[in-house]
Amino acid sequence: MNASARESGRVYARAKSEGGERGWGPASTKYDALIIGAGHNGLVTAAYLAKAGKRVLVLERREVLGGRAVTEEFAPGFKASPTTDLCGLLLPQVLRDLDLGRHGLEILPLDPAVFLPLANGSHLTIWQEHEKTLREIERHSKTDAEAYPRFAQLIQKLTAFLRPMLSQPAPRPNGASPSDLLELLRLAWGVRRLGATHMHQLFRILPMSVADLLHEWFEGEALKAALASRGIEGVFLSPRAAGSAAVFLYHHLGQSGWPLVSWGLPRGGMGSVSKAMAEAAKARGAEIRTGAPVARIIIKNGRASGVALANGDELAAHLVVSSADPRTTFLKLLDPASLDTDFLLRLKRIRYRGVIAKINLALSELPNFTCLPSKEPAAQHRGLIQIGPTMDYLEHAFDDAKYGRFSAQPFLQATIPSLTDPSLAPPHRHVLSIIMQYAPYHLRGENWRDGGEALGDSVVDTLNEYAPNLKGSVLHRQVLTPLDLEEIYGLPEGNLHQGDLALDQMLFMRPVPGWARYRTPVPNLYLCGSATHPGGGISGAPGYNASRQILKDWAKL
Amino acid sequence: MPKPFDAIVIGAGHNGLVHAAYLAKAGKKVVVLERRHLVGGATVTEELYPGFKYSVCSYVVSLLRPEIIEELELARHGLQLLALDGTFTPLPDGDYLARWHDQAKTRRDLVRHSRKDAEAYGQFGTMMYHLSRTVRTLLATVPPEPSSLKPSDLSGLVRLARQFRGLGGDRLYDLTKLMTMSSADFLDEWFESDPLKATMSASGIIGTLLGPRSPGTAYVLLHHYMGEIDGVFRSWGFPRGGMGTVAESIASAARSLGAEIRTEAPIARLLVRNNKAEGVVLENGDEIRARAVVSSLDPKRTFLKLIEPSELDSEFAEGVRRFKIRGSSGKVNLALDELPNFTCFPGDGPHLRGSISISPSIDYLEQAYDDAKYGDYSRRPYMDILIPSVIDPSMAPPGKHVMSIFVQYAPYHLREGTWEEKREAFGDAVVDTLSEYAPNLKNAILHRQVLTPWDLEQKIGLTEGNIFHGELTLDQLFFLRPVPGWAKYRTPIRNLYLCGSGAHPGGGVMGAPGKLAAQELLKDWHGL
Repeated sequence: MNASARESGRVYARAKSEGGERGWGPASTKYDALIIGAGHNGLVTAAYLAKAGKRVLVLERREVLGGRAVTEEFAPGFKASPTTDLCGLLLPQVLRDLDLGRHGLEILPLDPAVFLPLANGSHLTIWQEHEKTLREIERHSKTDAEAYPRFAQLIQKLTAFLRPMLSQPAPRPNGASPSDLLELLRLAWGVRRLGATHMHQLFRILPMSVADLLHEWFEGEALKAALASRGIEGVFLSPRAAGSAAVFLYHHLGQSGWPLVSWGLPRGGMGSVSKAMAEAAKARGAEIRTGAPVARIIIKNGRASGVALANGDELAAHLVVSSADPRTTFLKLLDPASLDTDFLLRLKRIRYRGVIAKINLALSELPNFTCLPSKEPAAQHRGLIQIGPTMDYLEHAFDDAKYGRFSAQPFLQATIPSLTDPSLAPPHRHVLSIIMQYAPYHLRGENWRDGGEALGDSVVDTLNEYAPNLKGSVLHRQVLTPLDLEEIYGLPEGNLHQGDLALDQMLFMRPVPGWARYRTPVPNLYLCGSATHPGGGISGAPGYNASRQILKDWAKL
Repeated sequence: MPKPFDAIVIGAGHNGLVHAAYLAKAGKKVVVLERRHLVGGATVTEELYPGFKYSVCSYVVSLLRPEIIEELELARHGLQLLALDGTFTPLPDGDYLARWHDQAKTRRDLVRHSRKDAEAYGQFGTMMYHLSRTVRTLLATVPPEPSSLKPSDLSGLVRLARQFRGLGGDRLYDLTKLMTMSSADFLDEWFESDPLKATMSASGIIGTLLGPRSPGTAYVLLHHYMGEIDGVFRSWGFPRGGMGTVAESIASAARSLGAEIRTEAPIARLLVRNNKAEGVVLENGDEIRARAVVSSLDPKRTFLKLIEPSELDSEFAEGVRRFKIRGSSGKVNLALDELPNFTCFPGDGPHLRGSISISPSIDYLEQAYDDAKYGDYSRRPYMDILIPSVIDPSMAPPGKHVMSIFVQYAPYHLREGTWEEKREAFGDAVVDTLSEYAPNLKNAILHRQVLTPWDLEQKIGLTEGNIFHGELTLDQLFFLRPVPGWAKYRTPIRNLYLCGSGAHPGGGVMGAPGKLAAQELLKDWHGL
């Protein structure tokens, strides 16, 4: 411990005697809040705290800010994001409050939303326009086309009920304070206002598997597979796993439209989202320092009072907010011995289990699909290209992951962002950005240090079955395994949600039961990352909620 | 004309009989109509090979509500439960895992596999005990309807909310986990030994078309745990004389209370007029009328087979069609010349006095499930085996034995072929797998009965062969069972009630649906 840290400890002691038990620490520190990690949630938290007049410093380990929401050059002249290039969950409040549009964010809708080439030479396309989608579904099944609008209405109704929960702290079912009870009553009231039919549907569907849900409505394999994707993206679940219907609903909370249409493409790639957030934070007075890895969180008199950087510098602040996942925060940045054993056990029990790998391809020409041939830019290139033609295909892909292998026949979601945004690739060249699932973080009998290239080959081979010119058009290939996602981008076990989005890790159970309100057992230390309610996806919701909780606590001083 | 019946109960399974007994106890005139020549439904003992008595379907009593045993005086009517001694899991490496009635003995055995697990085992049991106490009260409660404004529903909801909030943080979190997690993940939080986790998780997959790694299976684990730790009496028990004794004792109680039970009286259809059930038509053309008709059959059979579609509300019919009732298990019953000789535990011994579980690892169970997922029976299935004749020698001739093998997975819907074609091959897979652990088995078989899910449907009347009359998944439990809004044993057709396992709280030889349905029916009558 160096002199300045001891000093601030003494200052803190004085502050406590003046300010009582709830003191935030020394009044003379330069910062009110230090935020660990400049991922999108860290930036959103910073922007809101700065907006409320707090002095905020964001500390980012990497030289670039954005966490996984970055656009990076993976081959000379070719740029893509390390995970998804799509964005569909961003909270409208965040967009509006932080003027992200003014700070350069533009999200372009995907049309078609999904293009699903099929093994039999056919395809299914989901469009933004309802009539077009229905005509397309009708090509495969008349009864499905009739059922689809009713299904869409049901999903819209349920998501309309669930949507506000994104931007509210999770209710505490066992909370005893008047405000807890009020929240619970309000929730109960909201549920009852749904009416019997929709209330029953809500309770029934939330714990279901997306496969069971879709089997109730549709007969066409392609349609079911296209829809089921939203129930399994980024989670360690198969379509037949209970809880995948809840994930399906979660992925539709961003917008109130029909299923599958809400994903959009940020102009300039995913990095432009975090760039706009960073600009917004700076414009409100927040400071952001990149290349500043935090080595540990400093605890004084049982409270978080600052951080020590890897270079030895120590920074003091009233409070520390970590956008890193809880395991990193508590087991790496803090001395676990100082923590309650019960809390430690709960941390240990969080299931991360990343399932995706990212493959970025630099292409000399567009993929030419057998089922819809064209080397010129066409609709099939503009949407989310999805490989996963049947429910069993998706289920088989998961079976491999169950036994610690990556899927031999993977479920793929690919986009060609360079079509919409030519700045991402050299002229007449293209970027194919592919999310591969399932790539389990824990491989059996192998490790990801040498597993990446085999996975890359299998992904290219799979796509090549649908677009046979692909293999010959690959100029460069980048493979990011779950281990790379962890090591480079700080995603624990490569999990996009900083903790698997399973029913038992949602709401008041997230990130650990009893600590779902962004506070932690360490006073003055908060969490604001995807590990907290409501979870991952580029929504900014955890950051939004965390900042509101922090400001509320602040106001009580 | 004789005095008309107050109620006709369709099906003399254990729930139909319990229901009839309670109605008769309240002084009502009741007739139970059974399709087969014997009572019991899936709770029967049959001598299919001279001298050998098979508990053909259900094979163990674990969940039968103690208050039913007491209130119907089942002991006086011949029910005697014999204790089973734990669970024995032979392992392919020549070792075994055993959990006994005697906790100290269990501990010694667990320590061999994992000291940590031996420590955690007791704590785990305590947690499950407390959780099952909470859930058990739900088993004895008619589910309140959350959309209703009726005072009884509102007070039920408030009571429920109080109960859950009263659990306190930790228990509430544990319960949430149990309701939503996979049994494998749930057990992973506690234990490290694969055979232990596999054998424990097996109770989470029984009667479901889910694997141990499928979320939702942890609840089924609890459902089965409720009997296991109902410490007051021998809750994992085998009834002397086989499972049929359970049904016979209830039937005897019902008769002594005045109920009439007719066997070989199959029903052709329900008499429904103006959305009101008036009686039934038997296959022989006879009509029987009553104030109420109560079906102990599963909801699909009741509403989609016995009632004209035009008589049924279409939204309700849709709900019944959506009710998941996928059969996933089969049963193999063997008459044996001698006891199985397990390589890992040779000779006779206490390991043959409990259940024998073929569940060496989670992967083993999961692979068994993979076969079923894609429409095939498990090549190497999970088995829960009992040798009733060592517990009750009257089940087989002296020196001989009967073996009851519950087998999973056997999906009702096969991708290729029919169950009639595949029945014996399925039986062979079972015997072959078991012979790997007990090589003398094959030559000791005197007689073999193989029941596929298709047979369970044809013979016993279980739709798709589902032993629970509908899967025990969260979306089909409590106020959602069998159809949302219709969880209180009543149906959209007036005077038609449900009292079988398809109603809350679900399957297992428990009797709770039969009893609760009787309470509700009597409430309606007394309200008249």
